[in-house]
Amino acid sequence: MTAISTPQRRAGLVVPPWFLRHAGVLAVLLLIGVFTATSSDVFLTGANLLNVSQQIAVVAVLAAGLTLLMTAGGIDFSLGAIAAVAHGVAAQLIVAGVPDGPAVLVTLALGAAIGLVNGVMVTWFKVTPFVATLATSTALGGAALLIIGGQSVSIGDHLMMIGFGEVLGVIPVSVVIAAAVCVAAALVMRWTAFGRNAFAIGGNESAARLSGIPVVRTKLLLYTLGGLLAALGGVMLVARLGAASPGAGGLHLELTVVAAVVIGGTALHGGSGTMVGTVLGVLLLGVVANSLNLLQINPYYQDVALGAVLAVAAIANHLRGRRT
Amino acid sequence: MDVRIELAGVSKSFGGAVALREIDFAVNGGEVHALVGMNGAGKSTLVKILSGALVPDAGEVLIDGAGHGALTPRRARALGVSIVHQHRTLVPQLTVAENMLLGRLPRRAGAVDWRRAHAEAARALAALDVRVPTRAVAGELGPAQQTLVEIAREVATGGKVLVLDEPTASLGGADAATVHDLVRRLSSAGISIVYISHHLDEVLGLADRITVLRDGRRIVTAAGADLDLAGLVRAMTGERISHQRPRRDRAAGETVLEIDALASGARLAELTLTVRAHEVVAVLGPAGDGQSELFDLLSGRRRPSGGRIRVAGADVAAGDVGAALAAGLRCVTGDRLAHGLVPGLTVDENLDLTRRGLRRPWLVRWGRLHRQAAERRSRYGVATIQADPPVSALSGGNQQKVLLAKWLDAPVQACLLEEPTNGVDVAAKADIHQLVDGLADQGTAVLLASADVEEVLRLADRVVVVRAGRVVADLPVEGLSRDALVSLTVGGTAS
Repeated sequence: MTAISTPQRRAGLVVPPWFLRHAGVLAVLLLIGVFTATSSDVFLTGANLLNVSQQIAVVAVLAAGLTLLMTAGGIDFSLGAIAAVAHGVAAQLIVAGVPDGPAVLVTLALGAAIGLVNGVMVTWFKVTPFVATLATSTALGGAALLIIGGQSVSIGDHLMMIGFGEVLGVIPVSVVIAAAVCVAAALVMRWTAFGRNAFAIGGNESAARLSGIPVVRTKLLLYTLGGLLAALGGVMLVARLGAASPGAGGLHLELTVVAAVVIGGTALHGGSGTMVGTVLGVLLLGVVANSLNLLQINPYYQDVALGAVLAVAAIANHLRGRRT
Repeated sequence: MDVRIELAGVSKSFGGAVALREIDFAVNGGEVHALVGMNGAGKSTLVKILSGALVPDAGEVLIDGAGHGALTPRRARALGVSIVHQHRTLVPQLTVAENMLLGRLPRRAGAVDWRRAHAEAARALAALDVRVPTRAVAGELGPAQQTLVEIAREVATGGKVLVLDEPTASLGGADAATVHDLVRRLSSAGISIVYISHHLDEVLGLADRITVLRDGRRIVTAAGADLDLAGLVRAMTGERISHQRPRRDRAAGETVLEIDALASGARLAELTLTVRAHEVVAVLGPAGDGQSELFDLLSGRRRPSGGRIRVAGADVAAGDVGAALAAGLRCVTGDRLAHGLVPGLTVDENLDLTRRGLRRPWLVRWGRLHRQAAERRSRYGVATIQADPPVSALSGGNQQKVLLAKWLDAPVQACLLEEPTNGVDVAAKADIHQLVDGLADQGTAVLLASADVEEVLRLADRVVVVRAGRVVADLPVEGLSRDALVSLTVGGTAS
């Protein structure tokens, strides 16, 4: 037993703990921002920043669900595929003449149902989350293409409100949705028993179970919520693109989401995580992509950069975890 | 006679706690040298130093006369010192031959030469007269055969000093005898054995010499023939005043917890006992024996293979955590970091977990949570420097108090305390003992699962002694002498 107290190195500092915790990501974000701003006149223009914020809105919505899930020690590799399926289903429903509102609701319900299936596999059948969601991800990747018949399905001027609407004449609706989701997730993680139970389960599932915390129900809810938010991301995707098309969502979106959450400092083994970190991770990846774009660097480097940032963040998290 | 391995004036402490004080210990070639002592006497620390897993603070480890200041487990093994642990370490899915030759399977042209592997393994087993087929899968062997294979493996890899840590802990009489036979054969083949056991009768029958440790000191080293059971027990427990058992004037009330013929495979056979309100009943056994099953069975983590549990007259569904909690039964683990606390969450939130699990509120009200936690902390004497640090930052004693406060601060019908002072310092131990007294005073039926004789005498009103999974005694503690109790746990004649 190594139940010996660890010294508190940070006692006495008056910096708020969340700032200290995310100082690394924040510093990298500022660094890249300053560098891009000095190299390109476009970066700090309102149009570009709006563009960036709209691009990352979908990632942020998915990442919020994943942060909650990973805090409880779970993982979901099917979020991108659920988003792809959702954006196809929403498009086909609209093409079939279903009004926007019901179409969106049905899509969201479908996403939640898929998430529940993931949850059932993980909790009742005790399949490792990685394998369970990899299986659904693969199956849904194919399903997404089948739904749209492998072609673009245009939705005309439907869902304009979500795709191009603005609040107060400047802020895109998609950004407002993403912000609302992230704030709600942060509140859930701090103030609800459900959110706190996720921390307890991720931190020590056995102790949580013995304390009477409903471990299975909480996990089912977490996967369901993840699926629901992924479907919302899919709706935002189709609204913004004006059409469902092959290649939207899917694996690339998934990896970006996982990367953002990990960069934000959420532990892969569960027990700790913050929405502030996740939002910073999403912002960082968005800014890096935009920066590579503006600096006219070969787009193939995008994935290289994504992988590199992820590796550095994971190593930094490991070193930090070892120290405490 | 030639000395194979020797500790000269070895001391070791952890933090402030002294585990070993100036120990001299020597094992001759071909000798069976038994090491006995109560829990916490320092046996495991001594073994870890022998095997290079720990470096002594002072003193020296000599192997074949040469000093080894920086002994590592790898070096020790290379020099012929190996350990066979109580928890068997064979890879259960692999065959006996593969286990015997783990990491050094014979190869021809890069591929494993299976014929030679089985021949080599068979030869090594035959040399020790161990009759186990080399193609058998290790996990399907009985526990005694697994132990034999493990010992044979260590000998085959060049072990000249074998440390056997409780090799017969979970074996029945006949199985234990096959292990004893092997030990005698090894000894006559010139291999030195350090034999650790709680079963004193087997130690007396087997050992050439016996060293007794108590509180980190070597009390005596004597030839096995010169010692008897009573003398050995006295050396283990010492002459000090046995325990300050507070006078208690509480009278046991109604029966609250009833355990009826509870069984769990070979680990626990038909345990029957009742605990009444205001009463502390201890189930005492050697470390890892039947009493260590109780936590899993009573908490609902695992389904017993037989028997019933009743709380306040109502059956508790087997293997159901929620049912146990709802019945008012609280099980406090002896392994606080594995099953008791969430180390990454703060003290206050950990203290609130059981309440949250029972009440299932929607929201967490932090203000109220901190206020209630503050009261609990002061009642249980949890001292922290920071306002509300994560539990992982606390000392063992404070973690243990948080654990008890988390589970027991609301009125409970009955509770199981598993090793409640596991790994805590003396001051915290005294505090925890008072807390347990207080529980019984309030009317809780307290069941104590323990391997610690001192603690049982200090806390319990009644004691049930288990050995090798069976109940060997059920006695009131009042008037029971410590030596008598020790004799019962470690293998006296009373069974």
